[in-house]
Amino acid sequence: MIRLKGVSWTYAHASQPSLRGVDLHIRPGEVVALCGASGCGKSTLLRVMNGLIPHFHIDGALTGTVEVDGLDTTRAELDELGLVIGAVLQHPRRQFFTDSVPEELAFAMENFGFPPAEIRARVADLGGPLAAVVGPRARLRQLSGGLQQQVAIAAATAHRPRVLLLDEPSSNLSADAVRRLAGTVASLREAGLTMVLAEHRLRYLRDLVDRVVVLRDGAIDVEWSGAQFRAVSDAALERLGLRGEVRPVALAPITAVGASVDAGADAREPAPAGDAAFAVTGGAASGDAGGADLELVGVRCRLGGRLVLDVERARFEAGRVTAVRGPNGAGKTTLARIVAGLQRCAGQVRRGGRVLGRRQRQRLTAVVMQDVQRQLFADTVEGEIELAGARGPAGSDARSVLAALDLLDLAERHPLSLSGGQQQRLVVAAARVAGRRIVIFDEPSSGVDRRHLRSIADQIRQAAAPANTVLLISHDDDLIALAADRQLTLGPPRPGGIGRPDGIGRPDGIGRQNR
Amino acid sequence: MAAPARGRLDPRSRILLVVIVSLAVMSPDGLRFVPAALALGTALALTDRAWRRAGALAAAGAAMFAGGWLTPLWWPHPITAVIALACQFTIRFVATVGVAAHLIATTSPTALSAGLRAAHAPRPIAVTLAVMLRFFPVVAGEAAAVADAMRLGGLAGAGGLARHPIRALERFAVPMIAASLRASEDLSASALVRGLGSRRRPSAMIPPRFTWADPAAGLALAALAALSWWARPLA
Repeated sequence: MIRLKGVSWTYAHASQPSLRGVDLHIRPGEVVALCGASGCGKSTLLRVMNGLIPHFHIDGALTGTVEVDGLDTTRAELDELGLVIGAVLQHPRRQFFTDSVPEELAFAMENFGFPPAEIRARVADLGGPLAAVVGPRARLRQLSGGLQQQVAIAAATAHRPRVLLLDEPSSNLSADAVRRLAGTVASLREAGLTMVLAEHRLRYLRDLVDRVVVLRDGAIDVEWSGAQFRAVSDAALERLGLRGEVRPVALAPITAVGASVDAGADAREPAPAGDAAFAVTGGAASGDAGGADLELVGVRCRLGGRLVLDVERARFEAGRVTAVRGPNGAGKTTLARIVAGLQRCAGQVRRGGRVLGRRQRQRLTAVVMQDVQRQLFADTVEGEIELAGARGPAGSDARSVLAALDLLDLAERHPLSLSGGQQQRLVVAAARVAGRRIVIFDEPSSGVDRRHLRSIADQIRQAAAPANTVLLISHDDDLIALAADRQLTLGPPRPGGIGRPDGIGRPDGIGRQNR
Repeated sequence: MAAPARGRLDPRSRILLVVIVSLAVMSPDGLRFVPAALALGTALALTDRAWRRAGALAAAGAAMFAGGWLTPLWWPHPITAVIALACQFTIRFVATVGVAAHLIATTSPTALSAGLRAAHAPRPIAVTLAVMLRFFPVVAGEAAAVADAMRLGGLAGAGGLARHPIRALERFAVPMIAASLRASEDLSASALVRGLGSRRRPSAMIPPRFTWADPAAGLALAALAALSWWARPLA
């Protein structure tokens, strides 16, 4: 079904080839996992298979031959290839062309000129199960990451291609969503689809793959049959920089009450006034007697008329990393924006017992965004640090911070020319120089291998070291296990939950008593 | 799972509406059509249940009217004359944007593309406009994120913009363009492998079809135009 012979590819301006002499033959109906450390060439290999190389990424040098279902991908048009190959990119929300499930499912069939009646029938067939979960009028951007992934896979297979390519489909998914993804892959396998998955997480594919191909520096390093892979230990995977079993992590919850606090995971009975649980104390881990804990009190936020966050009380300890967990739409991003002073809300945010206004919170907070390119403003790495230092406490030494984060050699480089991991370290360095006391990491481990995961976890730990409050928004159980001490699990605000803003509490009256 | 209802007018009517209103309002004698266009934009926002848009459009129209016509009467002065000229010029754009906002809010990129194809627009134009419609929210999202990052970095604010306008714009534009390009690359790659711009003749899940609402809207528009021509408001 897919045959690669001596395939090499070098991106324009790259000093090294991304693929080196790859020979690979994938038979019809086979399920193959491509894995390896970040930058080993997994995604590039998928781009070669679906024809984006050389038709979309035109600047570069390709040698060797690639055939998919008898089509030479270098000569066939992209739409010819698109008819036989479905592709799901790493970030589903970035690839949606529309904002509704039916339109997204119909998109490829419309472009390929399927009869309208057939499109409607296929959309009804594929969309029915999704509609039962998300509702017929659901907007794609409002769905959880797991549901977005399901829609992306359904949209890529709606026109019945014979091959499906998936680029890190499990990144950004919680353990539950990964299990649902495994179910989807299993049913497509049953249907006889040939599948190639580029992945860091492999164990959920244990009983689904026929072959695992490990890439290193653009070449095939190791190949395991499905049976051989099932016998490989987690320790052996770790030696290759690969992720092992995804295990759900349960950390000690922070002290929190509210309708948005997940009842099953973290909810605590509301504290009566003066309860020691909410009394102002110093950071437990740091021993900061001045009291640097961060507190939310009666925080409620409505967006578009809809209540999206309702936290009666929550305390984040200084010197610790708190993982903020929960499905998409649970209010994690809203909570982060409130803490950072970017979102108006009812209620108070306090630090060390002192109420902080929005402007004060903006001056105290650094956010390490998922796409860190958005927060790099200077011409050079050193300039970025100096820019941050100009607004920070006196005496911070840019070069020593750069040296501590292994960025000194890059001081003269343009920040946008750095790799994703280097950019992330630069933003952390800037936050440190600027003296920020609250640091929020937003999904920092999207699509990274085991070695980089440890490096990111180290960054997060270091950010918490000087009695700072660190919030880690993540679905990645592997990262949470490495980097977090506590957790706050959010869910959509429960009707009648504790702290409901309309004053109607639970039947036992706790909500009213707590207001 | 049915496609969501995204407005009762056919996409071709919505496109035509924007074209007619733009031509009328931007013509040399176009001020006379502005009140009708503002009323139309507000009415369309109300039918879309877009209360914020309706309120913003009405408020912007009222503010422009106050600045352009009432203020010079209240205080005849060169300053108010300049403000009046600016408001009389800008109110035309407000009226046009109000009607165009209905098209953007109620028409998905694929519906727009299908509507343009049904109107026999050349395919490159249909595809380009559909991609533009999809790309607007991407750019808006990236711009909002960069603005947030600047606010947190202490780089936002009128003071910095007034002292170093070029530097402030550069700090906003460079990361925004970089992030938008990255997002657009994924979007383009995904759309191309799913046949966007394919040589095949595209179809539509729900082919565009005129209903009674379209001629009714045409009659209402003609009545508004005639009323504006006869009453000559703002002229």
